[in-house]
Amino acid sequence: MARRRIAALPYGPDAWLLHFAEQPGEAAFDTARRISRQLDTAPPAGLKESVPGYTTVLLEFDSPEAADAARGDWLKALAQRLRSPADDLGTDSGRCHDIPVRYDGPDLQRVAEHSGLTVAEVIVRHSEPIYRVALIGFAPGFPYLDGLDPSLIVPRLDQPRTRVEAGSVAIGGEHTGIYPLPGPGGWNLIGRTTVTLFDPDRAHCLLVPGDLVRFVVAEGTVS
Amino acid sequence: LKLEILSPGGLCMAQDAGRPGFRRLGIPPAGAMDPAAMRLANRLLDNPPAAPVLECLHGARFRVLEPGPIALAGFGHARAWQARAGELIAIGPELPGVWHALALPGGLAARRWLDSASVCPRAGLGAPLMKGERVDNAGANGVGTLPSDWPTGVKCRYPADAQLEAAAEGAPPIRVWPGPQWAELSEAARRLFFSQSWRVSPRSDRAGYRLEGEPVPTPAGNLASEGVRVGSIQVPPDGQPIVTLHDGPTVGGYAKIALIDADDLRRLVQTRPGQSVCFRRMA
Repeated sequence: MARRRIAALPYGPDAWLLHFAEQPGEAAFDTARRISRQLDTAPPAGLKESVPGYTTVLLEFDSPEAADAARGDWLKALAQRLRSPADDLGTDSGRCHDIPVRYDGPDLQRVAEHSGLTVAEVIVRHSEPIYRVALIGFAPGFPYLDGLDPSLIVPRLDQPRTRVEAGSVAIGGEHTGIYPLPGPGGWNLIGRTTVTLFDPDRAHCLLVPGDLVRFVVAEGTVS
Repeated sequence: LKLEILSPGGLCMAQDAGRPGFRRLGIPPAGAMDPAAMRLANRLLDNPPAAPVLECLHGARFRVLEPGPIALAGFGHARAWQARAGELIAIGPELPGVWHALALPGGLAARRWLDSASVCPRAGLGAPLMKGERVDNAGANGVGTLPSDWPTGVKCRYPADAQLEAAAEGAPPIRVWPGPQWAELSEAARRLFFSQSWRVSPRSDRAGYRLEGEPVPTPAGNLASEGVRVGSIQVPPDGQPIVTLHDGPTVGGYAKIALIDADDLRRLVQTRPGQSVCFRRMA
């Protein structure tokens, strides 16, 4: 297998995209956590904002000069660090959240048909795993959760809905997630939770990458 | 100075420089669509450059309830004047561009979230202004006084010509930088992107502007979601580019072939639906 290398992809004069894995997965997640810790403890000079993705981190800087400088020494030091054995990842494990879900979403039947399961089986298979927050994005507090049972992988809707209610629990491809706010959305809606994921008044997000999530079947679930 | 919204027109809400730094939580930066217009309107009143303004589309109309100095700036127009009680202010169709900034003395009195007054309905942070709502300036006396550098007796002032940019007609191409997936674009696709005029779609808003033209063949394969910058030119599978803007998603899985230069972004944003733009690669 070719040796995996990290690369700085161009993204304007004052930013670059740190690409660190060919595909999402366990290895990419571990690398992402290590890079995230490096950014917290020893960020490159002039870093303005970083946005984690599955296999990338977007790094925006104060100036083109700062972006260029970081592409040199800081990136080299990071690459070196990533080649050394993983360090104390144990201290980094996230909090675990139990999220009650009423499984009565409008796409529950569609998911069942697509996966060749009964609705009851879909509910069991969706509420069994412990999911991990891979990243937060798309909308405020929206978690992309890893750990979906492969039998529940269902493509997104061809035509996104113009309005999805807040708290909607959904499946989009190989991910499951929760819509924190009302808005448009193209994922399959399978249930609702009353848990607040994003509080606009405090601009507070419940979940952060690395946190664990368990869905608990709540009353009102279709049987 | 106090205003009543007679009509919000296409859209009217408080904007300032936005709230960068929270995209890792999925919170878009928001902020004025045309920051230069915001700064110019504020400068005409001696406000801090990023004091909150009312950013509006055409059709917005206001009644002045309490008098005071006020400034209106956009793409190719700007003026400041003493508004009288009862006066009507209209963002009329004769004003060039798309987005207009109305500045009040000392700035607009506005609620803040995460250190910014920029309203972002998509993120649950505030809502557009509605007919009948009233807004105040943030000046100490509630009315506002003329900036000290306005000569006595002057009722209205305009910025120096240099501060106004020509309208889109005959403008040079918008400059872009290569994006993360530029390298995966075929030579033919690059030529296609740069050689044609792209029409701005009516399906454009604060989250993104859609461009219509001959489709650009995109690199095959799905991209794992990754951070998106404001001004990114993304190409979905249908080949019709989307320019991600201030209220857009913070991560995305489309190919980001290019990034519009920050200085040129306002020229795209101020291009009306149906008008066309073209692009040139940054030297």
